[in-house]
Amino acid sequence: MISSHGTLRGGFGAIAILLTWVALSLPTANAANIRELELEPAPASIDARELAHRSEDNMRSDRTFFRGKMTVVSPRLTRPRVVAFHSWEDRPAKKSLIRIDTPAKDKGSGFLKIHPNLWMYVPRVERTVRIPPSMMLQSWMGSDFSNDDLMRESSELEDYDHRVLGIDPATNGDVPRRAYVLEYKPHEDAAVVWGKIIAWLDVETGAPLRQDFYDEEGALLRVMRFSDYRTIGNRHVPHHWSMLPLEKPGHSTEIEIQEMQFDIEIDDDVFTTRNLKRRE
Amino acid sequence: MNLETRLAWRNVWRNPRRTALSVAATVFAVFLVVLSIGMADGVHEKMIEDAVRLGSGHVAISGEGFRKNMTLEQFVPWDGRVEAALADAEGLRGWAPRISSFALLSLGDHSQGGMIIGIDPARESSVTEFSEKLAEGRFVAELTVPGTRELVLGRKLAAKLDAKLGDKVLLYGVAYSLETAYELFTLVGTLALPDPRMEKNLAIIHIADASDFYVYEGKITEVALLATDAAHTDGLRSSITAALGPELLGSLELQGYEELMPEIVQFILLDDAGMYATLIILVVVVGFGILNTILMAILERSHELGVVLALGLQPIKLFRMIYLESMMLAGVGLVIGLSLAVPLLAYLHGMEFPLSDELAKTTEFIGMEPMMTFKLGAMNPIGSTITILIVAAAAALYPAIKASRAKPVEALRSL
Repeated sequence: MISSHGTLRGGFGAIAILLTWVALSLPTANAANIRELELEPAPASIDARELAHRSEDNMRSDRTFFRGKMTVVSPRLTRPRVVAFHSWEDRPAKKSLIRIDTPAKDKGSGFLKIHPNLWMYVPRVERTVRIPPSMMLQSWMGSDFSNDDLMRESSELEDYDHRVLGIDPATNGDVPRRAYVLEYKPHEDAAVVWGKIIAWLDVETGAPLRQDFYDEEGALLRVMRFSDYRTIGNRHVPHHWSMLPLEKPGHSTEIEIQEMQFDIEIDDDVFTTRNLKRRE
Repeated sequence: MNLETRLAWRNVWRNPRRTALSVAATVFAVFLVVLSIGMADGVHEKMIEDAVRLGSGHVAISGEGFRKNMTLEQFVPWDGRVEAALADAEGLRGWAPRISSFALLSLGDHSQGGMIIGIDPARESSVTEFSEKLAEGRFVAELTVPGTRELVLGRKLAAKLDAKLGDKVLLYGVAYSLETAYELFTLVGTLALPDPRMEKNLAIIHIADASDFYVYEGKITEVALLATDAAHTDGLRSSITAALGPELLGSLELQGYEELMPEIVQFILLDDAGMYATLIILVVVVGFGILNTILMAILERSHELGVVLALGLQPIKLFRMIYLESMMLAGVGLVIGLSLAVPLLAYLHGMEFPLSDELAKTTEFIGMEPMMTFKLGAMNPIGSTITILIVAAAAALYPAIKASRAKPVEALRSL
């Protein structure tokens, strides 16, 4: 009863507050689910940052074009949702443009990133919208990726410190091939959503095999796996990415790369809000 | 009236001035205790009432896990079964179905994330007071022709979007079907709300438009229920739990306002703790006053007490008499105090007094209207009486024991 109470309740109230306070000041048990990895020691000559760079360079160049298909699986859908899109990226300028090709409802929709801003164009209502920071963690196109994931590209090198944990002999099925295991820890002032990332990088090619994303409390939130490696020039590019959001059982998002061009010329006019409205 | 009682009563008034002072202290304490509790009860009840009438009601039915995830995935099937269960519920003042989700709102160069609540205007007014909080324009119309798409915004959200009445605001989100959801909605009104966070976040549309927008046919995210009053929350919850039956209940969760708005419950707990601590100190001081008065009285009367003990009065009878004196002292104070405080509180009950601007800032912080109110609940005078009697009884113990254990010879010699 809240509305009418005797004096006694105040005593209990005070005790309750005291107990709550005591409970809050105790160190909370860390609900971490970090598995113990059985790793072989890595040679001391291995440089973590260089490995991270090599992995990154496998997937992108300074100016990259890319056409892909995203498949979203969810328990609420009878058929997976498929979104086809293509994108241009100017990595040094931190600009990119993504254009949606299908489904029909979203055809011509575009996302323009000019760091640190993200705009969206919705052709059917002819509106350009700047996505505010408060909406960054919302789903991108109904997938398990967020708007923030679009923005985050290349920050894995800039915003994190890298450390080699060892070599995963690939005997327990974590990854298909022998891999260096790296830990990415964000810089203290970095505006990133992850507490840490564990990355598996192919010992032979340096290509990424798998990434585990942890929150600040150390809980594993997301597992990303790469497969279907194809050689483009001197790159080993995974053409299939699969992402499992662990906090959403039954959901997954996969991206299949259909076309990828590295080191191309991209006119700077591509990355303008005017071009964003051009719907092509 | 037996002899002891009569004697005790006379003894109390042997020193009228001392007794009157002691009684006055008790009266003052009783008056202050009853009125303070009455004000706290009134303010706290209003706080809860305001909060539930601008939020999720006393009880909210939602899909299991909705409060935690706030996604459309956790839903309440809206096929008449839940409505049927509500028809039989006891202590239900009103209920309203809702579809709540996030969306991006955009107009011109401005964009802002917001909480979209799809409501049924006719039903909503039985639970919340949104339609009475208009800053300008009007509320979402009762019957929308499909595609009317009217929008009412918290006024700070409208200001951030720089939206005027009649503007077409873009709502963009993700539908239940994981399709993108986007439509233009016409701004028909803005709301002035006591909670600034709601003014910054809230966007209200018709539930039919929300169902269309989020591709959410046959589903809603929650039902807000208003109990006859806060004290009936648990009763209402169990009544509805029973009416829903285990099959429906499996995928649903019912939460009381304590879980929905823990910050308010905590605020009340903290506020109460501070107040009760002060009141307890006051009552204990009064207890010491009584102790002092009676101790003085038996000291003055040691000769007399020595005589009666020497004449063969049983110490237990003496103990009872002194004890009665203390209780009478407290009792007189209590009766006068209650007869002043209770009628005054009954008169103030339900009246609202606007607070000064500075205090108003505090209440705005917790999302409440800046009003002071009083409430006379039965537990307030009863609890106060019991507490004061317990303190008086404890205070009387020492002088009564001291008097009854006096050695007649020593007592006769003193004074």
